[in-house]
Amino acid sequence: MNCTELESRLHPFVDGELGLADMAEAEAHIAECPGCRGRVARERQFRQFLRRQPRESAPHALRERIRAQVGRTARWAAVRRWSAVSAAAAAIIAAIALLPALRSSTPLVSELVDKHIAFTQMEQPAELASADRQAVEQWFRERAALRVTVADYSMVGIRLIGARIAEARARPMSYVLYEKGHVPLSVFMVPVTAPEGDLRGTRVAYRGHDYVTQERKGYRTVSWTDGQAIFGLVSMLDYDALLECADKLRTERAHEARL
Amino acid sequence: MEKTWRGWATGENRRGEFEEVALVHLDAIYRSALRLTHNRAEAEDLAQDTCLRAFRSFHRFNPGTNCRAWLFTILRNAFRDRLRRGGRERLDPEAADWEGEWQSATVVAPTGQPEEEFFLTALAGDVERALRALPLPFREVVMLSDLEELSYKEIAEVVGCPVGTVMSRLSRGRALLRQALGRVAREHGYLKESP
Repeated sequence: MNCTELESRLHPFVDGELGLADMAEAEAHIAECPGCRGRVARERQFRQFLRRQPRESAPHALRERIRAQVGRTARWAAVRRWSAVSAAAAAIIAAIALLPALRSSTPLVSELVDKHIAFTQMEQPAELASADRQAVEQWFRERAALRVTVADYSMVGIRLIGARIAEARARPMSYVLYEKGHVPLSVFMVPVTAPEGDLRGTRVAYRGHDYVTQERKGYRTVSWTDGQAIFGLVSMLDYDALLECADKLRTERAHEARL
Repeated sequence: MEKTWRGWATGENRRGEFEEVALVHLDAIYRSALRLTHNRAEAEDLAQDTCLRAFRSFHRFNPGTNCRAWLFTILRNAFRDRLRRGGRERLDPEAADWEGEWQSATVVAPTGQPEEEFFLTALAGDVERALRALPLPFREVVMLSDLEELSYKEIAEVVGCPVGTVMSRLSRGRALLRQALGRVAREHGYLKESP
């Protein structure tokens, strides 16, 4: 490589963007040529000078404005998506109208929503604060003789916060609290002795299982029963997320039952 | 299963992910918007527009690629849309024009010490001022390379031109920036007028 060739490759050389062979040739040339060595040094110095410049931050108010607007857009997107899904679900329901609908006189789901609101507004929503699923399951076994499955949602960023023993129908039920960002997700399990037709709402089939969805006081709920207990999920998260969480809990519980 | 499980990132989830992956680069977006618009109110407006556009098309962002580069592409498009509407700064056929014009102007290769001294004493803001005086095609590559540290390939994608063009604009842009800084230095009296 001679001086002219080096000059034409000066910038990619200084930026580390030359291929290995060219890089080696350029290195060899500047080792021998004081003129080009000085040229490279000055160019490097200039680049370092530019990179050392103070960097301005975005104004705090701008950041907050953007976060708020993104939040509004996200909520609208979720509403629109769900309207499309429920239209499709309505068509399915019409087709399976002969299946017995789950009916009830007592709205258990309303009770769960009220508990979700009450607990999440408490300073310490969880009696037992723990991110350890096994510890939470053991705590329920020892404290209330409840066989509870605490599903793992960590891979989608839903963190386990803790648990408490609550009551429904004068019987103990389990309450497990998770959080996605700052959005709480409550998972209830109400043991039942006889199959109860206790769930009202829209029937939805998801991955081969039936669920009942219902929106109350702005919260979305997904519930189902396996004959031994009624399970209920309550959150502001959208239905896609809730159904996926429900399916995962169901799968993990079935897996545990087989063991 | 895995795919669907990850695939439901919607609503609140999508928002959280967007904040973690994209909104952390707001400082860089804002700085660049400021360098493009030369005006704080406009820069804020442009940065906000960029973030909302990015959020709406966040499903098209390919995780594992450079999110800042993706955001700069959106910023650049948003800025160009504004220019088209406002018709203020010269755009297409910007590059060809500008390159012809500026290539023919004499750009002196840095020869000596006086400028290097200036670099040690430059006031905060001198570089930003000098940079803003550069024509857009050069300003954007220098800004993306030297101030935001993108690779040539990433810059080529943001700007939508071949890597070779990035290289030539960068070398020209840096030389112009040096000259502009030299002018600033002489105006400030850091450097004596060259004989």
